[in-house]
Amino acid sequence: MNLHLTVNGIAHEVAIDPTERLLDVLRDRLGLTGTKEGCAEGECGACTVIVDGLALNSCLMLAAQAEGRSVTTIEGLSAGGGLDELQSEFIERGAVQCGFCTPGMLMSATALLRTHPEPTSTDVRAALAGNLCRCTGYSAILDAVTSVAVRAAEQPGG
Amino acid sequence: MSASLRYVGHGRPVADAALKATGVLAYGSDLQVPGMLHAALVLSPHAHARVGRVDAAVALAVPGVVAVYSHHDAPTRPYSRYRIVPGQEHAPEDETVLAATARHVGDRVAVVVATTRAAAKRAARLVAVEYELLPAALSVESGEVVHRFDHATTAHAALPPDALVTETTVGTQRLHHAALEPHMCLAEYANGTLTVHTPCQSVYGARTVVAELFELSYNRVRMIKVPMGGSFGGKQEFILEPLVSFLAMRLGRPVKLVLDREECITATMVRPAQRSTVRTVLAADGALLDIQVHTVLDAGGYVTSSLDYAEAMAHKLTRLYRTPRYGHSGEVVVTNTPVAGGMRGWGAPDIATCMEIHLDHVARASGCDPVALRMANLVAPGAIDPVSGMSLGDARVQQCLQQGAELFRWAERVNAPAGEGRYRRGVGVACGGHKNGMLSAEFPESSTVTLKMNEDGSVQLVASLHEVGAGTSTTMKVLVAEELGIDPELVTVGEADTNSTPFDFGCFGSRMTYVVGAGVRLGAQRLRERVVQAAAELLEASPDDLHADLGHVQVAGAPGRGLTYAQVVQGTRMRFGGDIIVTSTYQSDSNPGSYSVQFAEVEVDVLTGLVQVTDFLAVVDIGTAINPLMVEGQCRGAVQAGIGSALCEEIVLDDAGRPLDGGFKNYHLVNSATMPRVDVLLIEHDGDQGPYGAKSVGEVAFVPTAAAVVNAVNQALGTEITELPASPERVLAALATVGAPL
Repeated sequence: MNLHLTVNGIAHEVAIDPTERLLDVLRDRLGLTGTKEGCAEGECGACTVIVDGLALNSCLMLAAQAEGRSVTTIEGLSAGGGLDELQSEFIERGAVQCGFCTPGMLMSATALLRTHPEPTSTDVRAALAGNLCRCTGYSAILDAVTSVAVRAAEQPGG
Repeated sequence: MSASLRYVGHGRPVADAALKATGVLAYGSDLQVPGMLHAALVLSPHAHARVGRVDAAVALAVPGVVAVYSHHDAPTRPYSRYRIVPGQEHAPEDETVLAATARHVGDRVAVVVATTRAAAKRAARLVAVEYELLPAALSVESGEVVHRFDHATTAHAALPPDALVTETTVGTQRLHHAALEPHMCLAEYANGTLTVHTPCQSVYGARTVVAELFELSYNRVRMIKVPMGGSFGGKQEFILEPLVSFLAMRLGRPVKLVLDREECITATMVRPAQRSTVRTVLAADGALLDIQVHTVLDAGGYVTSSLDYAEAMAHKLTRLYRTPRYGHSGEVVVTNTPVAGGMRGWGAPDIATCMEIHLDHVARASGCDPVALRMANLVAPGAIDPVSGMSLGDARVQQCLQQGAELFRWAERVNAPAGEGRYRRGVGVACGGHKNGMLSAEFPESSTVTLKMNEDGSVQLVASLHEVGAGTSTTMKVLVAEELGIDPELVTVGEADTNSTPFDFGCFGSRMTYVVGAGVRLGAQRLRERVVQAAAELLEASPDDLHADLGHVQVAGAPGRGLTYAQVVQGTRMRFGGDIIVTSTYQSDSNPGSYSVQFAEVEVDVLTGLVQVTDFLAVVDIGTAINPLMVEGQCRGAVQAGIGSALCEEIVLDDAGRPLDGGFKNYHLVNSATMPRVDVLLIEHDGDQGPYGAKSVGEVAFVPTAAAVVNAVNQALGTEITELPASPERVLAALATVGAPL
């Protein structure tokens, strides 16, 4: 079957097997290997992508379910290969160690800030509860998300 | 630490953080090689069974399937996945690439190779294996004792009649390392040379195993360390390299194997389950007069590292506590359960958990405060470890305990009431010690590195580094930059590759910063000396009059007379036909203690048995934090894993030996919603031989965590929980023994 979807702003038509997951299409057919597979059962969040504004586990979503939808992956987070504010904050605060959870963390955090620009610390913890990290103990990650939100709120018109 | 240091002591992200944060970094599972095939495993569903006929006809009919192998058509030569040098002791060769007799649920019995991973995995489910079931030993009581040990520093002697004798048996559970990146390996074979891409902790270790297994000369085996998404010790043994190398050699095509999470739990290795009985004698003045320990350790289906692991446990407590008498005996038992192997701390967390829960038992029995009891018995700076005979160096564990107790307000909080309603509060403390490298009377420690300066004055470090994600590469960059007075961004640090980087044992034994870091610092000093010598030749000056810093070599007392590093390199090459490159070997002659003391506050729901850690302080005797940002990250990550091991992480087997935790659905890691804020206090000093006084952190920070949490639970409830994890079921059962609270 043919799947039509937009990934990081680019429209794609991809021939897929109906059993393929969105994760497989992103990694194997489109070469977007920034999205990671850590558990294949929706528990670790390493495969998180944003589908029409919602952070979802791409290992739990059949590719066919993405028909006509718009998907953002870690590769689409900042245009032109630079770093967006959240990525920079993750790096500066030491929220990146082995890095395997990082793309999924960033996608969950991005989806949160787009819908809740001024989250409480409880909101941040809850939004990232589905993203496991074994390296950092989460503090640096939570601090990075919170500080980006606080800075945005402090900006004029923010 | 000197205030004049430019880069040491300043926080710095891991070197490849931007690549990771943009998804650009290619981990092993992201690698693609032309013509590459994909492998999938067929694992034994039985704990102990002879592998009979293997019918692959249906599997081979799946489109894309290239081959199916079992022990009938694979090499049968045994090997040890654990050894890192030829002829290594305590590394029995008891494993084959595919098992003829499955020794645990999850043992590798067959493998499918196909053009896609999906086809390989589909076909793997269609391989029909006939098994002849054998009696399975699912506990140490029914297993085979393969090793006994008995270390004692002194004979037993008469003890004062008023001494307090206390005995506690503590059991720690099988743990999954839970690196977020599943295990993988990619091998290629061409022109008689085997090339293996592996996120491992020792390329030279992997090479000695694979080269001898397939009778290849070492120069025809190239092991390349690829980016790794965490290990925590789970990738320190060569689990997949032999099998995937066999497939690449047999098929003459590149083959990649990426495990799924369930396979990582059942088919790689786990931290061993062990149970230790600790018996101490306490004098009336609070001094420990005797520590006797007996450990029974479950090695699982293959021995791998368990002999050394169990012995390592017997080399920990005398690095932490003074005692005139010490004995540690034990047994290693092979069973038909998941293979046990090293994990972060390598026995230190296991035995510290036992000792520290025991010491709270002693504190209750003697009426002594837990902090005071420990303070009276911890080793002091300059102490000699009676088991190894080596100095513990500038051991600051007493200082960790003292300053930690003040910061945590221990005296106030330990006396606060636990409460009487549904939620009870308690606090706990625990101490832990670890090492700095593998140096012992029997084992030398060294680090060989090459540094070369480029024609623009930038530098490349060529060393067998194995970055596990904790920032080793960044540490080495900073050390080179500090010595040469150049920006760390002008230093490139590669990773291990047996074709190009010098021999190194690998990333084990908390040796990276202390031993390899010291080697890198020495190498950078040698490079600076070489630059000065070359500049002296170019300037026709005496090297004694020259000073190298900030990318320049200056003649003392002659302003303006000097050369940039770039001019030195270019001048040397073009005038003398030489180069600025040095290779040096550092030999470590010390192995001081690293220490951590940790304090936990918990809130226990006596209705459900759920425990929430509400406050946590980790104090670490770090010597010098070369990169405080990553040191603190190591501490907080260690505490995350330690809380999990205290409260919820456990690989549970059913009565047929099958792990019930097929994935993270049942094997629970502490997540961001339940992780407490962790305060970190670093005790810095400059009394040891690591680079700029630095000591290890990644392992030691994990050592006392579980005990601190369990001690807090026991303090809150008045219970004596001694089996980990302190799951809700165990908490409720323990509450029942002390009387229903509600």
